[in-house]
Amino acid sequence: MQERPEARELLAAARGTLLERLLPALPPALHYEARMIANAMAIAARAAAPPPVPAALAADAACLAAAIRRGAFAPGTPGHAACAGYLRGLAEARARVSNPKALAR
Amino acid sequence: MDEARLAARLGVVIRALSRMPGGAIQQNWALDVTLPGGREAGWVLRTNNPGTLAVSRTRAEEFALLRAAHAAGACVAEPLLLCEDAAILGAPFFVMRRIPGTAAGHLLARQARDAGGEPTLVAAMGRALARIHAIRPPRPDLAFLGDPPADPCAAFVARMRARLDAAATPRPVLEWGLEALARNAPPPRPAALAHNDFRTGNLMVDAGALAGILDWEFAGWDDPAADLGWFCAPCWRFGNRGPGFEAGGLGPEASLLAGYTEAGGEAPGEGRLAWWRLAATIRWAVIAADQAGRFLSGAESALELALTGHVIPELELDVLHMVEAMDAGTA
Repeated sequence: MQERPEARELLAAARGTLLERLLPALPPALHYEARMIANAMAIAARAAAPPPVPAALAADAACLAAAIRRGAFAPGTPGHAACAGYLRGLAEARARVSNPKALAR
Repeated sequence: MDEARLAARLGVVIRALSRMPGGAIQQNWALDVTLPGGREAGWVLRTNNPGTLAVSRTRAEEFALLRAAHAAGACVAEPLLLCEDAAILGAPFFVMRRIPGTAAGHLLARQARDAGGEPTLVAAMGRALARIHAIRPPRPDLAFLGDPPADPCAAFVARMRARLDAAATPRPVLEWGLEALARNAPPPRPAALAHNDFRTGNLMVDAGALAGILDWEFAGWDDPAADLGWFCAPCWRFGNRGPGFEAGGLGPEASLLAGYTEAGGEAPGEGRLAWWRLAATIRWAVIAADQAGRFLSGAESALELALTGHVIPELELDVLHMVEAMDAGTA
């Protein structure tokens, strides 16, 4: 069992210090760098506590990618709707870590 | 940067020299000079970053593209001097006149949102695009662009699949988008010069007017609608996803197309435009994956490259949405 605060909480606290204390004291030329660091820390914090991924998403991505390219799931094929739904879940699970704001659209 | 050698090569007195922000691939330097006659001028010097993308043009090629675009009246900085001698700065460079204004995408998109859209500005962007697209092959001065593709849409799909294969990370959602593109490709049109990175962020705006088109290193012969689709793709709207901001998050697509056709561009039609909007979204995802790959391979350590990979899931959501609309016939 690990000590608290866990990685996610540490990153959140460090990110707060960066944005609230350091950023205002930095020259404007370094603001973009500071904001990138904050963004990287936010992504790392979300990845440190990954959301549960549906078991169906554990399929072999390479096989799936090749089958899609062959047209095996094109409109009119029996697996089309299931594949579309699966890809939606995959993209949403990935966005939940990388950029949760995109899920709100 | 060796200022004395540079000043000697340019034949001017350098009063100020400073690195300009941005530029993941190239370095830009602001240069204030005094010409031999005593007149003062503001220039930009452009040279390579270490670890330049293989797909990027050389500085000599970019200089030739700028000259062609400037001659076509496409609103670009006037190219002044090319130096291919790496002994001066360590890499080839060129110098162009400095354009006033800002290209900052988020700033311009916020201003456009506050103004309720900028139809006049995007119409001017449409006219500039039409002038670029008036440049048609064959052009001996642009021979480095190679032969124009007979079928630009088919060539695009093949190119993206090859890049995904080379990167070796399976990306089922991008394959889903490419498969939809392959099924829905519009008939081939003659290729024109495409800028291939014509978007908010690469367009200098000064006092509400288009002042210059930057970053020509991806230009090539392509379906002219490729530029319109790139500019109007959801990923380049800088958060302005509502109606009336389809053109780069700045103004209405209708105003862009009105300016485009007014200056001689051929209207693409909604089906072809929707095809290239989806193509643009996939292309940005493929580029982002390659940029993240450079970070992951250890070739470069820039945080910007590491973060770029994290735009891909959002692009995948856009791809799924656009494919659904395309297959439903509502794209």
